[in-house]
Order: sequence, then C-alpha cells, then structure tokens
Amino acid sequence: MAWLFRQTGLSPLISAAIGLAAGLGGTLVFMLPLNFCTFEAERPTLDLIFGLLLIGVGLALTLSAAAWLVRWWRGRGQSQPAAASSQPGAFRGKIMPWLLLAPTLIILALFLYYPSLDTFSLSTQLARLGARRSAFVCVDNFTRLVTDQSYLNSLALTLVMSAAIVMIGLVLSLLVALAAYQPVKGARVYRTLLIWPYAISPAVAGVIFLLLFNPVGGIINYLLNGVGLPSVPWLNNPAYAPWAVILASVWKSMGFNILFYIAGLQNVPKDLQEAAAIDGANAVQRFRHVVLPLLSPITFFLIITNMTYAFFETFGTIDYLTAGGPLSSTTTLMYRIYYIGIQNNDLGKAAAQSIILFVMVIGLTVLQFRSTGRRVTYGA
Amino acid sequence: MRKMLVFYLALVIALLAVVPAFAQEPTEVKVWIAFTDNRLDWANQKAAAFNEKFPQYNVVIEGYKSYEELFAATALAAEQGAIPAVVQYFEAATQVARDSGYFKPIAEALGDRTEVNGIPVNFDDFIGPVSAYYTLDGLWTSMPWNTSSAIMFSNQNILDAAGVEAIPATWAEMEAACEKIMAMEGAPEYCFTFPNHGWFFEQWLAQQNATYANNDNGRAARATELTFSGDAGVNILAWLDDMASKGYLYYSGAQGGASWSTVDQSFLSQQTAMAMYSSSDTAIYTNTGRENGFEVVASFLPYNDETGWTGNLIGGASLWLADGLSPEVEDGALTFLLWLTNTENAAEWHQVTGYIAIRESSIELLNTEGWYDAIEANGGSELWAKDPAVQASKGKAWYAENPNFIVAADQLARSTITPATQGVILGAFPAIRNVVTGAIDTVLLTDEDPAAVLTKAAADAGVILEEYNLISAP
Repeated sequence: MAWLFRQTGLSPLISAAIGLAAGLGGTLVFMLPLNFCTFEAERPTLDLIFGLLLIGVGLALTLSAAAWLVRWWRGRGQSQPAAASSQPGAFRGKIMPWLLLAPTLIILALFLYYPSLDTFSLSTQLARLGARRSAFVCVDNFTRLVTDQSYLNSLALTLVMSAAIVMIGLVLSLLVALAAYQPVKGARVYRTLLIWPYAISPAVAGVIFLLLFNPVGGIINYLLNGVGLPSVPWLNNPAYAPWAVILASVWKSMGFNILFYIAGLQNVPKDLQEAAAIDGANAVQRFRHVVLPLLSPITFFLIITNMTYAFFETFGTIDYLTAGGPLSSTTTLMYRIYYIGIQNNDLGKAAAQSIILFVMVIGLTVLQFRSTGRRVTYGA
Repeated sequence: MRKMLVFYLALVIALLAVVPAFAQEPTEVKVWIAFTDNRLDWANQKAAAFNEKFPQYNVVIEGYKSYEELFAATALAAEQGAIPAVVQYFEAATQVARDSGYFKPIAEALGDRTEVNGIPVNFDDFIGPVSAYYTLDGLWTSMPWNTSSAIMFSNQNILDAAGVEAIPATWAEMEAACEKIMAMEGAPEYCFTFPNHGWFFEQWLAQQNATYANNDNGRAARATELTFSGDAGVNILAWLDDMASKGYLYYSGAQGGASWSTVDQSFLSQQTAMAMYSSSDTAIYTNTGRENGFEVVASFLPYNDETGWTGNLIGGASLWLADGLSPEVEDGALTFLLWLTNTENAAEWHQVTGYIAIRESSIELLNTEGWYDAIEANGGSELWAKDPAVQASKGKAWYAENPNFIVAADQLARSTITPATQGVILGAFPAIRNVVTGAIDTVLLTDEDPAAVLTKAAADAGVILEEYNLISAP
C-alpha cells in the first residue's frame, strides 16, 4: 500500500493520516457491528481466526477505497479541463444527472442494497420468521460450517457439478456448433431450433427432465428397456441423480453456447484455414491448431458465464427434478440456502451461507469483467 | 370532446366509490388458506353461501400456494398490524402458531357461549383423535378442517392372483404377503411403497405407543428433547431397511424423498401391489383403479406385531383465529368457523376430497339415505353437486357405496388416545421432520446401521429444537 501513496506525491503526513483513518475504518467496518465478539475469551480459536480474517478483509476494502480516492483526487486536476461540459448532449449542471438517476437509485437502495445489508446483520443471528425475538450468535453461523460435513459435501458437489456442466456443455456445444455451421440445406432453421432450449426457464427444464427420467413412467428407462438394457434409477440413486441434473442443465444452456460458438466460427478467417490446408493440414489438424486457438476468447467467456449459470441458475431445475435428494446428492450451495431458509425457516444460517455465495459471485463477476474487458479479442 | 369524456369518467368513478359507502357495509372477514386447487374453489363456494345466509358478514377467502408461503405472508401481515381474521396452519406448525402470539384459542374467544349467531357450539361431536389433537392445555385452540390419517391402499386383483387371502394388517403379514406376491408369475416390480414423508414415521411411532418428544409429546409442557430415537423408532427404520433389501419395498427417493407423485404413479400403473398413503387421496385412488380395471381396497396402516397397535394420529390442518380482532370481526370469524365445520359441511368436504368427516354426526348422516337432501338444504356447493361419486351414491347410504371412505375415520375412532397417539406438539417441527426424512433416506440408500442413523438424527434435530425454543418460547 505504501508505494501507492508514495506514487501519489502527497505529503507523508497526509498519507499517514489517510492510511491511519483507512486502517482504523478497515478494522472497525466488521468489528464494530460485531462488537469484537470474536475476541471474547470464551470463543473458540476458530472464531478468533475468523475475526482476524474479517479485519484483514476490512483493511483490504478500506485501503483500496482510500487509494482509489487519493488517485481520483490527484487525477481530478488534470482531466477537468478536458471535461465534457462543452460537448453537445452532455449535462451542464451536476444536479440534473443525479436527479434523473434518482428513481433507479432509490429503488436499488430500497429493494436491493438495504436488504443486502440486512442480510449481513441477519447472518450474525439466530432468527426465524414469526419468532418472538432473535439472538445474537456472533460468527457462529459461519464458523460452524467449517466442521459441518453436509455443508462441505454441498460445496464439493457444487464445484464438481459446475465443472461437469461447463466441460460437458462446452464440448457438446462446440461439436453441435461445428455441425450447424456447415452450409447445409435449412441451416438457419436448424440453428434456430438449436437455440430454443435457452428460452425455456430452468424450472420447465426440470419438469421436462422429470418426465424423461421418471423412475416409474419415464421415457428414458422405457427406451433402455426397449433395447434390452435394465432400468436406471435416475432420480432415486445418489450415484445417478447428479447426472440427471447435469444433463438437464447442459441441455438448458446449450442454446446459448451454440449461439456464441457459431458467431465465433463465423469470425475465423477463411484464409488462415486455406493456408493451413495448403500446408497439408487435414481437417482435424486445422481444427486443433487453427480454429480452436482462435475460439479461445469465446471459450473463456463461455466458461465464466456457464460457471455462473451452473452455480446460481440451476436452482429451478434441481427443485423440480430432485428437490435436492436423494441423500442430498443434488443439494448445491444455492439449493441448500433455500432449503435452510425457506423450508426450515432458519433465517440466520441461510443468510450466512448466502453471504458466502455472494462472495463467490463477486469473484466470478470480477473474473468475467476482466475477461470481457481485456482478453476477449474477436478475429485474428 | 375528450375533456368531457374524461370528466364523465371521473364522475362515474367518484360515484362508484361513494355509493357503497352509504349502503350498509357488511363486516369483512378475511380468511387465508393454503390451497390453490379445487379445495380453494370449494372454500370460495362455501364463503359465498355463508355470505348469503349472513348478509352482515362478507367472508373473503384468499388462497396461497403452500403452508410455508402462507406462514410467511401471515408473519409479514402481523408485523404490519393487518393480520387476517382466520389463517390455516398445518398440524406440524401448531406449536409455531401458538408461539407466534398472533392467535387466540377459539375456546377463549367463545367464552361460555353455547351458540354464535344461532350456530351451536358442540365440540363433543368431533371425533376423538381430532379434538384430542387440537385441544391444547385443555382449551379448544384451533378449528380442525382438513383432517386425514395414513392408511394403505391395496390392488385386490394382484393380491387375489397371488393367493393372499386377507389384506395384511401387520408388518409380519406384510412380509408374508410380499413373499407370495413377488414369487408368483407375472409379479409386479415391487410389493409395496410409501412416500418418505416424516408423517409416516410418526404414524408408526404412535402405533407402538411411543412418543416423539418429551413432556408427553409436548402436551404436558413445552417439548425440549426428542425421544423418537428409542427402540420403537429403530424398529421402524430396521423394518423398512429389511423390506427394501429383500426387494419388497419400492423406495422412489426422488423429489427430496417426499415422493407422493412417484408413489401414485407406481401404484396406479400397477407396478406395486400396495401403497401406504394419506387418506386425503381416497377418491383419486379408488376411482383411478376402477377406471383401469382393478379394485382398490383401503385398509388400516400395518403395524408392528411385536409392540401391538395403540392407535394412529391425524394429519392435515386447522383454522386459527387471530388475536386482537374487533368484536364484530371476531364474531363473524367464529360464525364462519362454526358453520364451515357443521355436520352437513363437514360431510360435504369429506365427499369432495376424501378428508375425514370430522364430526360423529356427519358420519351418522352419511350412513343414512337422506344425506343428499340434508346437504343440499344446507347450501351444497356446485363442486359437490357435480361430483360423480356424490351423484352415483345419491339416495343410498354413502359409506355402504364407498367403503374405502370410512377406513381412515374408523382407524382413528378405534385408536386409544394416549400422549403418543394424540400427536406431538413441537417447535420447528417441519425442519425436524426433514431431519427424520433424511434419516430414512440414509437407511434405505446406504448400509449404515439404523440405530446409529436415528441417534444422529435425534441429536441434529435436538439442536434445531433447542435453537427454536431459545428464540420462540414466550
């Protein structure tokens, strides 16, 4: 941090003051609402470590905010003359833009930001809807998760399932996109049909696959029996149920992936392929060494978006297909929050777990912004 | 021209708003229930009939998708001081409803009145287990409405083909029957099935006269510890495990274990010979069998021969009266509650759905041949009048024509009322039920020892109960 402040060229005294304020703020941002409860003598070591971690996170937040402010302050003088005030179509005053933004901001603050902040306070409590009171439990709702085997299972399951959804989804989508990209008769109709599943809601996908995989009257088992294979307990065996969810989710997201891959394929320059062909590369080699590398920015983008989908949007599919079972084998982190918060009416624990998921969303979003902002280049 | 049009429109709207204010405004009584299907239609038709009979009141029914959603809406409405007069809660939420402080025991609201607006208060008429369940601390607390019990449906054709002479009544008879059924040529895929819902575990526990929680199942005082992991509980899990490993029990596991629809499908498509189920679907089971050419016979839920049968408990929901209503609204709500559960309406509700006829007098009425006229005179609903079974049995004794319909009420009527068969009153019960469902899931899908699984479930559920009591006890 120090180098950053040196760079800004402020006097050491002011830098030190800002640093001190930010440091203090960083320590207090989580600890003041928690009343330093993690450092009470009777708390387990785990809570102490978690408290230190929170201070660390708080410090990182306030220090980077301070650094950003300082930089903005320094840069203000230089960019001001070239400000857009003379440009046509720009607002002259400072109030007007804020006034126009106000309705959106108020709604966001009231219905999104305030409830989100409330989630933080809820996560430190034992709370139920309709209960007479709530009890402050410090960071128990978080630290108890470390030893909660069912939570760790959910976490591992979410990671494995998401990885499977992304990998299987992308490989299949690329293959289908390659086929759909061929100039055959009615290609446009095919392409439109291929994109259809994307327009279906995850819940409807769940219902469709429930009918397909149904252990009693499902079509898939009927077909399997038809060719002399035994029925597979798709939804009532913990070894198969996650696969049913993965297949449904892959099918659901394929339309989106295919769309992007077709767009990507259209941007692969023909001359590169021709040059490779002249150099004696066969179709597989051309695909492997020319097309695939050129598609990598799109693949990267799709990995991120599919990851987000697998993490957060498979809820509807799971709810209709397996409702988290059997043996919690399809209870992902997202489904778990619903189960604990709504089914079991344990709001505090659900809030804590949703904050953990929230941190994960931030991570994925940052990754996505970075990837779309810098790394994605279309064409050669 | 346009200005005039706007003016006239405004005038009309203003008149529409003012005119009803001069008329005698009936007292509005809001009733929130957790049904959105034909049961909501029935309630609406009944409310309309009630409003016609008692023009001083206007009962307005609102349907919610699930008990959970209704509960959340009620909690929010109560926080804003706009709680409806009557709210439906399922039996597992009885303690939660009590602890919330939103409601007033009906007996307290009635005081020593023996009638409200001419409708008599005769709670002695309700069948034993029903009044036992909803009487808390000696007070009639909420109004029972949809009440069911767990029973068994058998495919008589399969049983006959396998040479099973009597429908099995005990666990041992189940096993013997299953052995015959599965050994015969053209045997179904499985012998029997049940939806893995915590309620069935509770039923089997009650049959063995074992309690679910301490303090007499939470009826002598607030339940603070769970007792379901004793021998009786282990018996249930061990038996289910045994039946599954022998290939007799079909466990459809899907949909979080509470697999009502997969049980329907496997029984109605004749892939299983027997299904344990809620009596609430008696009409559907009986009729679907008839349509598909097999006879469905309802019987008592089989019990553990080694511990004997004490009785079964009820399931379903009751209607709660809000606290702090104005006297007019409270009287309106009481009038509606008493009327909705009178002899004829209880009989009608039973015929339309398969829920138990909760009054002795309703069962008596349905045993006579004049039930149709009596219900019609009381204001029979359109839904009821159009019911095919009602039409087919018109002029004949209902239960003689529809023997499956009496089974659940019979099972309850023969039950000995003990704290175990009264049913547990427990905080965070829905969440604890989920723990038990999970334990059964584990036993049926893994090799883990039933006793160990149940002990761990009781410990997990104990934490939930302790946390609930910490923040919910008054």
